[in-house]
Amino acid sequence: MKSHFDGVDPILCPRDPKTGEPLPPRSQPGYYPGFSTLSQGAFWDTATRAVVDKRVKHPPEPKFFAAEAWTFWTTVFAHLIPQTDRIPERQIPIVATLDHRLANDQTAGYRYETMPPDRVVYEIGIEAIDREAQHRYRGKFLVLPYLEQDLVLKAIHDGKPEAAQEIWKHMSVHRFWQMIMGDAIDAYYAHPWAWDEIGFGGPAYPRAYTRLERGEPEPWEVEEQRYVWLAPANSASAEVDSSPSHHAESGQHSLPVRSSKGARR
Amino acid sequence: MKKPLLGEFETPSSNKYRVGPLQSIHMPMRRFREYEDVDYVIVGVGSAGGVLLQRLARAGFNVVGLEAGPFWDTEHDWVSDEAGSHELYWTEPRVTGGTDPLALGANNCGKGVGGGSVHWAAFTPRLHPSDFEIYTRDSVGADWPITYDEIRPYYEQLELEMPVSGPAYYPWGHPHGYAYGPHPMGGVGNALIKGCSALNIPVSIGGPVAILSGSHGDRPHCIYRGFCIQGCKVGAKASTLVTHVPDAIRTGAEIRDRSMVSRIELGKDGRVTGVHYFDNEGHSHFQRAKAVIVSGYAIETPRLLLNSACPGHEKGLGNSSGTIGRYLMAQAGNVVLGRFEQPVRMYKAPPAHALTEEFYETNPKNDFARGFAIQTVGPLPVAFGKQVLAAKKAWGWGLRREMMDYNHWAAFGLLGEILPWKDNAVTLSEDKDCFGLPIAHVTFNLHENDKKLIKAAREKTEEVMQAAGATEVVQEARYAHLVGACRMGSDPRTSVVDKFGRSHDIPNLFVCDGSLFPTQGSANPGLTIQALAARTADYLVSQGERIFTSNERDMTTTPIRRELAPPETWGKGVPRLK
Amino acid sequence: MANELSLTPPVLDMKMVANYVREGRFQRSLALLTAATSVISGLEVAYEHYRGSYSRRVMYTPVILSGLLAIAGVAAFFSRRAARTVLRLVSVVTLIDALAGFYFHVRGIHRKPGGWRLPMTNMIMGPPIFAPLLFGTSAYLGLIASYLQREESSGMPSTSGRDIWFARLLPPSAGRELLSAEQDMREGRFQRQVAIVTGISALLSGFEAYYSHYKNNFRYAMQWSPVVIAPVLAGVAFSSIKSRRLATTALPAVSAIAGADAAIGFYYHVRGVLRRPGGRKRLLYNVMYGPPIFAPLLFGAAGMLGVLASLLRRRRV
Repeated sequence: MKSHFDGVDPILCPRDPKTGEPLPPRSQPGYYPGFSTLSQGAFWDTATRAVVDKRVKHPPEPKFFAAEAWTFWTTVFAHLIPQTDRIPERQIPIVATLDHRLANDQTAGYRYETMPPDRVVYEIGIEAIDREAQHRYRGKFLVLPYLEQDLVLKAIHDGKPEAAQEIWKHMSVHRFWQMIMGDAIDAYYAHPWAWDEIGFGGPAYPRAYTRLERGEPEPWEVEEQRYVWLAPANSASAEVDSSPSHHAESGQHSLPVRSSKGARR
Repeated sequence: MKKPLLGEFETPSSNKYRVGPLQSIHMPMRRFREYEDVDYVIVGVGSAGGVLLQRLARAGFNVVGLEAGPFWDTEHDWVSDEAGSHELYWTEPRVTGGTDPLALGANNCGKGVGGGSVHWAAFTPRLHPSDFEIYTRDSVGADWPITYDEIRPYYEQLELEMPVSGPAYYPWGHPHGYAYGPHPMGGVGNALIKGCSALNIPVSIGGPVAILSGSHGDRPHCIYRGFCIQGCKVGAKASTLVTHVPDAIRTGAEIRDRSMVSRIELGKDGRVTGVHYFDNEGHSHFQRAKAVIVSGYAIETPRLLLNSACPGHEKGLGNSSGTIGRYLMAQAGNVVLGRFEQPVRMYKAPPAHALTEEFYETNPKNDFARGFAIQTVGPLPVAFGKQVLAAKKAWGWGLRREMMDYNHWAAFGLLGEILPWKDNAVTLSEDKDCFGLPIAHVTFNLHENDKKLIKAAREKTEEVMQAAGATEVVQEARYAHLVGACRMGSDPRTSVVDKFGRSHDIPNLFVCDGSLFPTQGSANPGLTIQALAARTADYLVSQGERIFTSNERDMTTTPIRRELAPPETWGKGVPRLK
Repeated sequence: MANELSLTPPVLDMKMVANYVREGRFQRSLALLTAATSVISGLEVAYEHYRGSYSRRVMYTPVILSGLLAIAGVAAFFSRRAARTVLRLVSVVTLIDALAGFYFHVRGIHRKPGGWRLPMTNMIMGPPIFAPLLFGTSAYLGLIASYLQREESSGMPSTSGRDIWFARLLPPSAGRELLSAEQDMREGRFQRQVAIVTGISALLSGFEAYYSHYKNNFRYAMQWSPVVIAPVLAGVAFSSIKSRRLATTALPAVSAIAGADAAIGFYYHVRGVLRRPGGRKRLLYNVMYGPPIFAPLLFGAAGMLGVLASLLRRRRV
């Protein structure tokens, strides 16, 4: 049993809702077993194939972050988009992509006036998170147990950090969260392994899609095969807000969080 | 099939400059010298700039387009990939703020030849006749200096030049039909049809969208791959890069790409003499011109005019009214997400393929003026991830789990009219860009009418999503498009340019792009921008040399010059209701 | 004549019809049938080409020609002269247009991204490759009709309407052969020819059914039926060239099955259209992009040709 977990702590792994037992990491989580966008590379144009190949085979080398910052953000991103349901060799690099972006000073093309420049955000963000960790659990973020780390980040997610107010005065909590989550999503869901996980068809030029309606899969796509799983017991990130939005004043502000545990059937 | 016949696809290695798999641009193009006094310099070769360049070149003018971004070779430069398409967007530094700050960049700003038309979703509804006189009708916003009837021939013309696919009968505004047939539906379109049908709301199926439903000369028709806003490698989606630029180059226009215009030079006689620009290596140049047209869109246009302040024009070039940068508008673009039990796979088919404008006009029953449209949206994984982040506050395991359901979600976008307000503005920031030029600071605040309208629009869109059978409905607040900020008008005290886009203050300086709009309706602005460009071009052609020599202002409207259309426009499509 | 038939008992009807066909005396009926099929395929091509936005002017030709062919068919019903001149001419032109259409469709697929290297995708999403040839079916019927005798004719051969001028252009032996073939057609002796056309038509429409149902992921088992029946019909039709027995036994049987399948298919396609989002409220759009309602009838046309072949006589040796 132990060997299935391949060095990953079972307590960090998603659980089977019936037995409560941790599920061993997979090479491909998600409901589309055997689906591989990369296997379709021959049907893509050269330029796209080159970009995607590079993403998979040659993630960028560290350039911007110093070693400690690299470790710090690696740990944070392991909470923002946890990957313990993936075997280690199929985990998707997030910090490398972010590092590349910051090294080249690539931005979204704008900066909120309530935010410092992106590079500064990732500098002072470390301190803000560490101070929150100190304040809540009397330890630096990196040394805290997983759940406490999760809760530190959740405080920021909820828009309610208690420490480091002088940092937050110059950096909107909400925008900060948007940026680090945005970077996590930018890296993770741009990766073909993530496409396989969610059943996205991937690049489609010159080959088109032919079955446009009723969610019908292409001949090379696979039908969905759902399984039920729960987030690990010691995580605080499983809940999402599913409340119908017309009760909300604005989709951009924090709301009371309603629990919705586990995957729907 | 493991591979295509004859093995994996390779990009053909040829010296041709390709825009799409079949179409190519004949290079080398004509080159002008900097000391040559060219007739027109156009700053920005985007939606408007591309049309202007083509029209003026075809009419025989010497014309140079200066474009800050690259001249795309689509087969080599564009990819079928979300993250890999970053280059298409304007990502130079800007600051955004106000109570409801706008997201810029990929959301609404293009860079490179074709500009925003390279990454628009290509919905191309017309404005309604009412849009041109909302102040008269509803006492809000402003009236346009032109009427619907003045722009109508240009709508009809540009709908042929792109061309626009859509239903044979489009019931809203001034009813009309389209020369190209409607598109097949994807999952999102079907959801919109289902929802609207259940609620007895009329819906326009398969358009109007500037994506080919049938081939068009060397442009193949749509292959329904869903990467519209990543740049259409197929060439099926209209961008001026594929519709107008090839003809412009053929008829002797020059496009100087990677050329960032920094300042417009004003001569002693109060007329502009040319533009300063930086080339790709950062060297400064000056291009002489008899007249200058600024087509940099709603942020860069005011920024350039403000940055061109000089003695006599301290507040910005041609800014005696003080309205340059003011009355910036975006449309409410809330995305409503609905989860369905059956898979949808919304990444297939263009994001833009069905809409309803049933709630477009002012309704006395509402507590707000003006209205909104509901349209299909088809976010790809990265975009959808961010919507789930915003709409469901999802992160960590919650996000992973929601995203595994990607194929079960459909997305509608509402498009709500936000009125022009003076405090929504582009100003200069203290920060500088890599050329040392002050960057734009964008301020955006929602006002009472806007908020009420958005609330109603959101609720209606959610109702439609539920009627379509969604079991869970959530939404994200966001904004789409950018217009205004150099608005046209008859009164020089309250507007920047006249109804042909000519500066009230400087007779040989023109603005022609989305920043002209006094108000915006709930229609996507792309078609109107191009129609205005063709109209301005007709005016310039009819004025001839007088633009270059005279300070007289002739305000007569001239009949449309259909002969200036790219020749491949003709001989295609079906007879239509105009 | 129709009135005369309807007064007699059904069994006798069949026999009489069979006799007329046997002797090649069904010009008026076939001309009318030509007109009817031409209207249907005209409608089909009209909206199919609307899907392609009539992006080339040549796409209007089949629509116009099917209108002309329908008119010519009706004219031929009333006038023997029209049957032998106008109907023949329009039929030939339409057949040429069908061939040209086939060329344009092949080229259209070639010009799609990936071209013929993605045959399945581009046949599904590009112009339907065999549709122009199937469109030629009604023109073929018209052409045959132009050579037949009228129902009321006494069976005495006449020279009017024969392509003597054309035969003179050919080498003498080929000219003689042409005239003799024409004479045989007049007498209903062209079973083999129709059998061949039946076989080809079955194959083509079977293939069309295959890839369009493939596009639909064969969601219903019934979608396999034309794909299975078509090759059987083609096999029987081609075997009928050799075997007169098959031509009179298996061929009509399988053709009848194909016809029945086409009727069922028509029903399902109509139902499919109505079940689309918006259903009746978006009828025109749903006809355009729903299952092609007339396509099963084209498959049925192959069956009809098979029945026709089975009733005809073979050429004199």
